[in-house]
Amino acid sequence: MTSLLIGLFLATLIVALFTMRLYRLILWYSLNSLTLALLAITIGVNIDDSAMIISGFLTLVLKAFLIPYILKRVSIRFDLSRQIEPNIPVHYSVILVPALLVFTFYLSEPITNMISSNTNDVAISISALFLSLLLMMEHKNIAPKIIGFLTIENSLFLLGTTATNGMPMLIELGIFFDLLMAIVIVNLLFGHDDEEIAQ
Amino acid sequence: MIYLLLLPAFIMLILSFWNLEKSKFVLPVTSLLILYPSIRLFFLPKPYKIWGEYLVADDLSAYIMLVSSIVAISVTLAVSTLGLHVKISNNAYAKFYRFFALFWIGLTLSIVANNMGIYWIGLETATLSTVYMIKTNSTVMARKEAWNYMIVGAIAISLILFGIILIYASAKPILGERAMDFSALLLNAKHIKSPFLFEIGFAITTLGMFIKMGFFPMNLWLANIERASFYPVAALFSGILESAVMIGFFRFSKIASIVNSAHVFIFVFIYTILTIFIVSFLIYRAKDFMRLFSLSGVEHMALIALFWASGGVFAALLHFGAHAFLKPALFLSTGILESRGKYRIAGALRGYSGIKGKVFYFLTGLFLLAIVSAPPSPMFFSELYGFASMVELAKTNKHLLLMIGAIILLLILLSIIFYRFIEIYQSMKYEGVEKKKVVYGNEVLALIIFSISLIALLTPWSFEFLRSIS
Repeated sequence: MTSLLIGLFLATLIVALFTMRLYRLILWYSLNSLTLALLAITIGVNIDDSAMIISGFLTLVLKAFLIPYILKRVSIRFDLSRQIEPNIPVHYSVILVPALLVFTFYLSEPITNMISSNTNDVAISISALFLSLLLMMEHKNIAPKIIGFLTIENSLFLLGTTATNGMPMLIELGIFFDLLMAIVIVNLLFGHDDEEIAQ
Repeated sequence: MIYLLLLPAFIMLILSFWNLEKSKFVLPVTSLLILYPSIRLFFLPKPYKIWGEYLVADDLSAYIMLVSSIVAISVTLAVSTLGLHVKISNNAYAKFYRFFALFWIGLTLSIVANNMGIYWIGLETATLSTVYMIKTNSTVMARKEAWNYMIVGAIAISLILFGIILIYASAKPILGERAMDFSALLLNAKHIKSPFLFEIGFAITTLGMFIKMGFFPMNLWLANIERASFYPVAALFSGILESAVMIGFFRFSKIASIVNSAHVFIFVFIYTILTIFIVSFLIYRAKDFMRLFSLSGVEHMALIALFWASGGVFAALLHFGAHAFLKPALFLSTGILESRGKYRIAGALRGYSGIKGKVFYFLTGLFLLAIVSAPPSPMFFSELYGFASMVELAKTNKHLLLMIGAIILLLILLSIIFYRFIEIYQSMKYEGVEKKKVVYGNEVLALIIFSISLIALLTPWSFEFLRSIS
């Protein structure tokens, strides 16, 4: 089950990289967060860690539903361009993404060698981090860059879950708080006459 | 204690929702409240538990807290006349204070954090609140730079969290959840079973911190942001935000040095020398005060990191204190220095009359000379001690000639910076047309606070205290 969810996490991220429509990208982010939430709940149940189960449910509510909803509202309110053309053409991305995956697996080998359990999961988390950075880099528009930042945060959450069996609860809550603050700031930054920059 | 430390920021947050015309003049007084807990923290026996194991004050955090408090008070004082120098709406003013309060809360948490996670949360809060502070300037450039800061800041802060997770993963098998605590990591660093994993985590965390401080290869983004935002934002960046980033570097590198001190030194040495190399030429080409001071800030941060990694704790902390007072003072002066335009360096130090004007002229001139380490600036002493610590370190590992070569290179680069600053100083003082400039009392008071703090830094008592921090 864990492997399936991690596979889906990576798959949703890869599809997000090829997406050229903003609402689709928000949807893929939402699904990415959903798989992450289910993964945290599954691992939490397996190792009987209530803190991780709570984190999973918070991820489900905040990242899978609330943040995508707010992002969609923001994009409607400020009439953001729904066409998000990546800087890197898709036919190059088709080669680049698998190459990046292989490269990060190779790059993270010394790290995964040090971690006793879930080594493949840790490698996938690091790959996801690089793919999220690619998502941030390959778009000129601000909205996909914000989603790139949110997927980086998802990848780090996955890394924390797989490499350390979860961070302490207080820290997880703090990270959630900061994420919500980031969304508030994004909303404020889009305010008034920022549309031309956002485009 | 935690309530006392956060009280001024919370008062500022609440007052920002009220009538700004009245509260604007109350805020500098309320910011003075931070002095009491900061000074008390300074004299309490250490380590002092502020909130369990999460927030613990030691001598290092007490020193940085006091320095940051003085900067915060002075900036609050100078901000009250910001509207007289630049065009800012009341709404933007209120939002500036609101996000300044959040920024202050975040940084207080970062400075006294004994937990890597809380340190990160504080830093992230401060980073996000700064994004909006940049946007209070209503120009297109400021709005673009606010987005840029959001993106670059997010990448930097994500790298820091990535590194923290790896460090936590490396120490969790022996420490459990206490692997998040700086103090527990420091005590048990030698027993970490995966030192390589720890070192990777340290390198990534440090990379994130160096990006936040504008080190190589991200030298220009900080200068662009400080140029685009109002000058108090730049003062807060250099005086408090960089201090909070630096305390993180101090804490992480102290633990990493126990794991492998040679690796820490080589990593920091190469990174900082490359940074100073690039920055010195950028300073040579700087054509406005903001970029000049901003790039000079990067140079000083690189020197602090280099001295610290060389074992020159005293030199690094002295340089740190001097930078934290001098740079915000210079950034606050730009509001007046640039009153005739951004690129009017010639004659910027002319046209000051009355007692306030003359005090401003005298102090700004002194600060400009002090920032390039002209004696008796604290930076002159810190650089001497810093280079001495580099030589001492080289003596122990038989690389003396290489180190002397590096020091000579550094001195050449610092000479380029010195030359540029002196050239600018002379142009400000002797060239251009003399035109009358207005200086306000609160701004002069802020500069006087900075100069008293700098003098205090040079006292034997301060030297003794800084030497006691190991």
